Amino acid sequence: MSDLDDFKATYFDECSELLNELEEQFAAIEAGERDSDRLNAVFRAIHSIKGGAGAFGFSALVGFAHAYETLLDYVRDGRVELTDDVCALCIRANDIIADHVKAAQSGDVLDADYGMEEKERFDALARGEAADDDETGGESIEEFDIDFTPVMVNLDAVEEVAEAPAAEDAFDTAPLQPETGHWEVTFTPHRALFERANDPLLLFRELALLGQMHTRAVLGEIPPLANFEPFAVYCTWEISIVSPTVTEAAIREVFEFVEGDCDITVTQVGAPAAAAPVAKAAPAAAADDGLDLLALADDEVGVPAAPAAKAAAPKADAAAQDKFEEAPGLSFSELAETMAPPPKPVAPPRAKPAAIAPAAAPAAEGEDHGTRAVGVQSIRVDLDKVDRVVNMVGELVITQSMLTQQMDETLRARYTELVRGLEVLAQTTRGLQDSVMAIRAQPVKSVFSRMPRLVRELATKTGKKIKLETIGENTEIDKTVIEQLSDPLTHMIRNSADHGIEQPDVRLGRGKSETGTIRLSAEQAGGNILIIVEDDGGGINRERVLQVARDKGVIPPDTNPTDEQIDQLIFAPGFSTAAEVSDLSGRGVGMDVVLSNIKKIGGSVHVRSSTGKGTRMTLRLPLTLAVLDVMLVKVGDSPYVVPLSSIVETIQVSRASFERVPSGGQVLQVRGEYVQVIDLAKRFDMKSQTDQDSRFVVLCEAEGSQKVALIVDDIIGQQQVVIKSLEENFERVEGIAGGTILGDGNVALIVDVQGLKTQLIHKNAA
Amino acid sequence: MEALNLRDDMGENSAIAAHNSMQLIAFSIGEQTYGVEITTVREIRAWNGATPLPNTREFVRGVINLRGTIVPIFDLRARFGDGPTSPTKNHVVVVMSVGDKWVGILVDAVSDILTVSREDIHNVPEGNSVDTELLNGIVTHDSRMVGLIDLHAVVSGAKLDG
Repeated sequence: MSDLDDFKATYFDECSELLNELEEQFAAIEAGERDSDRLNAVFRAIHSIKGGAGAFGFSALVGFAHAYETLLDYVRDGRVELTDDVCALCIRANDIIADHVKAAQSGDVLDADYGMEEKERFDALARGEAADDDETGGESIEEFDIDFTPVMVNLDAVEEVAEAPAAEDAFDTAPLQPETGHWEVTFTPHRALFERANDPLLLFRELALLGQMHTRAVLGEIPPLANFEPFAVYCTWEISIVSPTVTEAAIREVFEFVEGDCDITVTQVGAPAAAAPVAKAAPAAAADDGLDLLALADDEVGVPAAPAAKAAAPKADAAAQDKFEEAPGLSFSELAETMAPPPKPVAPPRAKPAAIAPAAAPAAEGEDHGTRAVGVQSIRVDLDKVDRVVNMVGELVITQSMLTQQMDETLRARYTELVRGLEVLAQTTRGLQDSVMAIRAQPVKSVFSRMPRLVRELATKTGKKIKLETIGENTEIDKTVIEQLSDPLTHMIRNSADHGIEQPDVRLGRGKSETGTIRLSAEQAGGNILIIVEDDGGGINRERVLQVARDKGVIPPDTNPTDEQIDQLIFAPGFSTAAEVSDLSGRGVGMDVVLSNIKKIGGSVHVRSSTGKGTRMTLRLPLTLAVLDVMLVKVGDSPYVVPLSSIVETIQVSRASFERVPSGGQVLQVRGEYVQVIDLAKRFDMKSQTDQDSRFVVLCEAEGSQKVALIVDDIIGQQQVVIKSLEENFERVEGIAGGTILGDGNVALIVDVQGLKTQLIHKNAA
Repeated sequence: MEALNLRDDMGENSAIAAHNSMQLIAFSIGEQTYGVEITTVREIRAWNGATPLPNTREFVRGVINLRGTIVPIFDLRARFGDGPTSPTKNHVVVVMSVGDKWVGILVDAVSDILTVSREDIHNVPEGNSVDTELLNGIVTHDSRMVGLIDLHAVVSGAKLDG
């Protein structure tokens, strides 16, 4: 599905909501609640439908909606009284709008004169009132009298060529307006306009709403390809607008937001020229990321003088070029024809069951108000509601696993039916959990799609040649995780581009291809999602990393970390090896942001680097945030849980193995490594059975792969828990990351390993 | 618009009514009776243990599970500086909303629902800072003195360092 189809689907969803709202509002209006709020709501709904329809080129819908909107405008400011008659007409108009939307959705075509009668009544109402009202003055009612003829500057619909049957141009059939105003506008965008992410296409669309417009792109300035500067703007447009009502102010208003970023002249042409057939109008050519693509394409296909029919979706990048090359010679008129609905003079159309809207039922002319709802493929639900379901399913999963654990062998032998029931329950809950998680899950595409642009910018700024490959962008992951993923990924890619990939000459010297590759991939591995950022650059310079870490006091000067530990040092707070603070990275924030963001959502980061060959950074993220795998332990008499993700191992050691260090703390030797000890009972001020000869130790990994040994009184076992916030009703407690509810209904606290470790350092320092 | 005005008037009337009298839940700690406005009370439960919270003051008794949310329990006796309560099954937790948070306070027993007039509420005599800090006022009911608990004050300062 293309981006355009996605947008269309969203538009139809919105239409369906808006139509429902129209129904609601008119039900209230009919019941006598004729206040301005309701009218405004109606007006907004119609306006939204019209706006979207304009963007997608549903001209019949736009025309009708525009006339309707005009009437509503008059009703709103009191020029037309909202009588029962008018109200009934509006309700009928809503139905017609719904039919138009449905037709647009299914690709069907309505009668050319469908709704004309109502439209004429709109106009009559408007006119009738205007005759009594001198103040309407310059605003000629003619404007509303005539079929609204939007000028299609949206050429996104190139793809529709295959779908829509060729048709007589609706614009040609539209009655020509008596012309009183003819304006010539020249528009020369500056580079800054594009840099501010403005898109001339949108301006042209706005202009097209003012009246009949035709544009001509002046492409004479475009240099030969050899001298072509990719970010320069070589194009000027000459636009003429013919409309009885338009004023210079109205035209200038369209350009209000780009003022200063372009040159504009607006001149009125004395005598209105004969209206040129709109179909001959030159289309606006625009691409958001650079006119360069388009202009280049022009050169390549050798039609620089011909106004190019060029579609530029807001997100167009390389794809835009592709699209263009598919249909280089397509003129606007041909496009317009393919987009306009062909008039069908015969029978009223019946909606064909179309692939897009299988639910759309054939609509009869006007009687069946009930069946007018446009087919809905998705609903929008408040995230809170989904979260509530997710939480409850989490509880259910835990209760279910608790029940299963209660079944010992004797019970199993005696109650086979019960066992079978529990097994089914287990399956169903698992399925329920998966389905509920799927509701929150979104493809990582939404984050990945921002990265190509970043890489391009980075490549330009650093003067390196970098190619980005993305793999597995349809991998789905929890929405909350996705929201937290953007910053870390940006930092990681920056790091790869800035520190990883070498300058082209260095690369060639090392026997690599000139262009460096950054590969961004996402895959599911069990209950985790792995996001991997990999580059084929120089790898981590361990000597420098170690040197800097020592200089900056990130690690004590006398320690000798392993290679792997050195690699992890790049995530230490305040660490940065860039000799100069560059524009892109090197401020010493960044990689530690990655780590803290990822930790916050229960994930971990791992770096593997091979000198001269490249670096691979792996983010391991939980599929869901709702359920956490933990180890249940006892401290004193109270239950505590330690997240499984931070546990290295659990061991039982004799009291004698603990050694004292001068600071008064304890250390423990585990496999030749001295590890700092935290006695949780002491730390949490609990009574514990300290007289026991051997103690249980949970060996945990804290930030920067430093280990810490937690002494607990008992280790009960692994389980899944739902994380509950302590802050919701209380406040943050030191050393505690949150709470959870156990199968027996008691609250267990989640140990904040990192927090405890940090506290320990502060305590020792003080 | 007329209907709207009418509703406004009614709103004012009820506000006046509410202004004149209030209902209290009265509970006891030892011999002393205290009260909180009934509208703040969400639930009354028997004491069934709580998971102790480390690094908090003595009067934070711990946390309990209230239908899936974690609610902290404050020991009112300890809050008044009379040492921790030794709770039994007969002790009671009054769950209340304070701002947007739910908290429980551990008391000896809930005794009554009282209706008192706001005009009868006296200021707390100055002198003891604990009294003035934790009580909003004092009201007399059936010749008993009932201290009105200032919930915000009770739950503040729970952290060890704060």
